Amino acid sequence: MMLARRLFLGIALALMGPSHAHDLHSSVGTGEAVVVKLYFIDDKPFAYEAYEIFRQGESVPYQVGRSDAFGRVVFLPDRAGEWRVKAMSEDGHGVDVVLYADEAARVEVRDKPLIERYGRVVVGVALILGLFGLLNLYLRRKKPS
Amino acid sequence: MHIPDGFIAPQMYLPLYAMAAGLWAYGARRVGRELDEATLPWLASLTAAAFALSFVALPLPGGTSAHVTGVGLLAVLFGVWHAFMAASLVYAMQALLFGDGGVTTLSLNALAMAFCGALSARAFYLAVRPLHVGLALFLAGWIALFLPALLVALALGAQPLIARDAAGTPLYFPFGWSVTLPALLIPHALLGIGEGALTLLGARLIDRLRTRYRTG
Repeated sequence: MMLARRLFLGIALALMGPSHAHDLHSSVGTGEAVVVKLYFIDDKPFAYEAYEIFRQGESVPYQVGRSDAFGRVVFLPDRAGEWRVKAMSEDGHGVDVVLYADEAARVEVRDKPLIERYGRVVVGVALILGLFGLLNLYLRRKKPS
Repeated sequence: MHIPDGFIAPQMYLPLYAMAAGLWAYGARRVGRELDEATLPWLASLTAAAFALSFVALPLPGGTSAHVTGVGLLAVLFGVWHAFMAASLVYAMQALLFGDGGVTTLSLNALAMAFCGALSARAFYLAVRPLHVGLALFLAGWIALFLPALLVALALGAQPLIARDAAGTPLYFPFGWSVTLPALLIPHALLGIGEGALTLLGARLIDRLRTRYRTG
C-alpha cells in the first residue's frame, strides 16, 4: 500500500511539470505602439485585410494578422532599424512600406492631410496639361511654315 | 488594379518591362507622327480627365471600391496608340510622383490596362459599330476595364507558382488563381458598366463639342 502511494505521488509530481506548459497566462499592460493606418483614396479603410511585418533583413515575419475595422495595423517595434509592413488584399490592392524606428524603437507615422491628397489631383492635372503644352510647342516647331 | 511594388516577381516584371519599352518606343514615334495641333488639346484634356478619374472611387458590393480609367474613351476617340501612350503617362506619373501603383509593376499596369485595355476597346468598338454605335461605345468601355482585370488576376495568381522560398512559401503575392480571378473579375464586371456608360456619354459629348468648335 505504501509502495502504491509513493508510486502515485511520484507520477503526480512528474506530471506537474509538463502540465504547467499548457497553462496559458495573460498579463495586460500599456505601451507605445506604432499604428499604421491603411486606407483608399476615398478614405475607405483597408479593413480586415492580411498583413505581415518584418524586421530588417529577416524573412520570417515578426508579426502577422489582419487590419482592424478601421484599417489599422498596430505593432510594437523592439529594436531600431527598418520595419517592413506588407499588406495585401485578394484583389491585388495593398502596400509594401518600410518604416524606420529610432534607437527608442519609435516610429513617427502621420496621417496625410486632405490638402495633400486632393492637391495631388491638381498637381497631376497641371503636369499633364503642361507636358501636352510642351508637345504642342514641339509640333509647331516641327511643322514646316 | 494599380498593382503596388512587392507583389510581382522580377521573373515576370523584367520581361514585361522589355515588352513595354518596345511598345512605348513605337507608340512615341507613331503618336509623334500622327498627332496634330487640332487633336492635341482634346487628347490633353481627356488624359488629364483620366488622371482625375482615378481619384473618384466607386463603392462596389463586398465593401471594396474601384475607379474607372477612361482608357475605353481614349481608345474610341483617338485610337489604340494615342490611348496607350496617354494612359501610360498617367500611370507613370501616379507611380513615380504619387506612389499610386508600383514602379516595378508599371510595365504590367501599362500593358494590361493601357495597351490591352485600349486594344480591346478599339476592337470591340470597330466590330460592333456597324450594328449599333451606342452599344459599341458601351462595350468598348466595358471591355477596356474587364480584360485588364482578367490579365492582372492571371498575373497576380501566377506569383505563387513563379517565386517561392525553400519552404514553398510565396515570396510575392500569395494568392492563387482560385482567389484572384473571382476577386477581380466580379467587381470589375460590375464596374465595367460604369466605364461603359462613361465611354458612351463621354464620346457623344466630345463629338458634339468637336462639331461645335470644328476642331480635331
